[in-house]
Amino acid sequence: MVLAAGVIATRMATQPDEAALIRAAQRGDAEAFETLVRAYDQSVLRIAMNLLRSPEDARDIYQEAFLRVYKNLHTFRFDCSFHTWLYRIVTNICLDHLRKRKVRREESTVVETPEGPLDRIDTFPQDGPASDPERRAWNRQLQEKIGAALEDLSPRERMVFELRHYQGLRLRNIGEMLGTSEEAAKNCLFRATQKMRSVLGEFV
Amino acid sequence: MKCEDIVHAIPFYLYGEVSPATEELIEDHVTGCAACARELQVQRALHAALDVRQTSVPAGLLQECRGDMARNIAREAVAAHPGRHGAFGVMEWFRDLLHHGIPMRVPVGALAMIAIGYFGARLTGPAPFASLTANKAGVDNGLQMSVVRSIESPSTGTVRIALDDIRRREVVGSVNDEQIQRLLLSAVRDENNPGVRVESVGMLKECAQSSPVRAALLDAVRHDPNPGVRLKALEGLKAFGSDAAVRQALADVLLRDDNAGVRIEAIDVLTRQRDDAMVGILQNVFQKEDNHYVRTRVQNALQEMHATVGTF
Repeated sequence: MVLAAGVIATRMATQPDEAALIRAAQRGDAEAFETLVRAYDQSVLRIAMNLLRSPEDARDIYQEAFLRVYKNLHTFRFDCSFHTWLYRIVTNICLDHLRKRKVRREESTVVETPEGPLDRIDTFPQDGPASDPERRAWNRQLQEKIGAALEDLSPRERMVFELRHYQGLRLRNIGEMLGTSEEAAKNCLFRATQKMRSVLGEFV
Repeated sequence: MKCEDIVHAIPFYLYGEVSPATEELIEDHVTGCAACARELQVQRALHAALDVRQTSVPAGLLQECRGDMARNIAREAVAAHPGRHGAFGVMEWFRDLLHHGIPMRVPVGALAMIAIGYFGARLTGPAPFASLTANKAGVDNGLQMSVVRSIESPSTGTVRIALDDIRRREVVGSVNDEQIQRLLLSAVRDENNPGVRVESVGMLKECAQSSPVRAALLDAVRHDPNPGVRLKALEGLKAFGSDAAVRQALADVLLRDDNAGVRIEAIDVLTRQRDDAMVGILQNVFQKEDNHYVRTRVQNALQEMHATVGTF
């Protein structure tokens, strides 16, 4: 009589909740750690890519962030959400990169071409339909303007703007992630939008 | 609310960061104030325009990052706990990543570097469904893993267990070691998994001064179906940009490779040194190329050579 056949599976059939996953990862459960990483790594990469606009830098940020998570997960005490804790790590690394970039302007993705400035990032796919040539040309001009406006923001303003506008996070959470108050994050966002408004107001 | 307050509140209104009461005040105000209504319109248009800037993550980058991370954490674990596997079962995690479709597998060399520590730990830990035995003899670390395939009860009180025994052999050595190089070259040629090929090429590129290695890199850059492998092989050939065989292979890549990233890398290597023989090839590429950025790079290269983009 055959009682059992096939490789005995030890994987859990259902996904445990996040706190259980974190505790399991803290105890050294590789599968739980992997599940945690996979729950967040796409958005981490998206933030890094959108902020730094360089696949190489985004890759560095991804590695640095999750390596820090790996090394410091045992210090996570559930006094904020894992999401906030992780994003605090990611935003700190991104801010460092943005500050360095601010110093080393030559790292800009924009290169001069005979047809005018070209953002290398334009060779990467972007969201939204743009099949009409006129629309594409308009988008290109607009992106140049936006790119210039974003470059003028301070790293902190840039970060708050990114998290609010592109990642859709609430200002309260952004303040928490950046280790500041909601009011300070709000002021940062206001300064960023004012700067964008002054550069792009006429264009739109 | 005064106009000044409304203008100040508009960005937060658009982000849904004001209270319902303030929202109502703003909406009431703009219905009777043309200036503020105009400001709201401008800021709303600005808000929408900024969405154009949203960038997608290039295809494959996430998987590459996951593969890199697995390796980094493996190194970290081994460095932190030499002789043990660190916080996690690193090899299990590798295996899981692969199981979930990551095109990366630990190459023979990298595996050899971390395997002993990991398996050493596994051997001391509980293994309820697998029995592990290891033979350590010199550089070879033999490992036998038994997987339970079926359990039968031929009679009351007795159990018959069918086991599959899988034997893994490991080789540890320098990348300059002939045997290691042979294994890596074989992985570059014959391995189906592109992740293994990327890793193998990545290790081999450190010894590209060796003719068989350079030939394998040239073969990979020309024929490997995976752009990641081709890019890695190109990295290894960068230092040999003046070699005639390399230049010929890269010219072929420039004309035939379907991946813009690979073509850009080929341009970088080919244009590091002035070579008038490249003018015709670059002009040809410029005529055929449909990627704007590659065309711009080709155009720049031709201008630096004081050549026209057209063949006339």
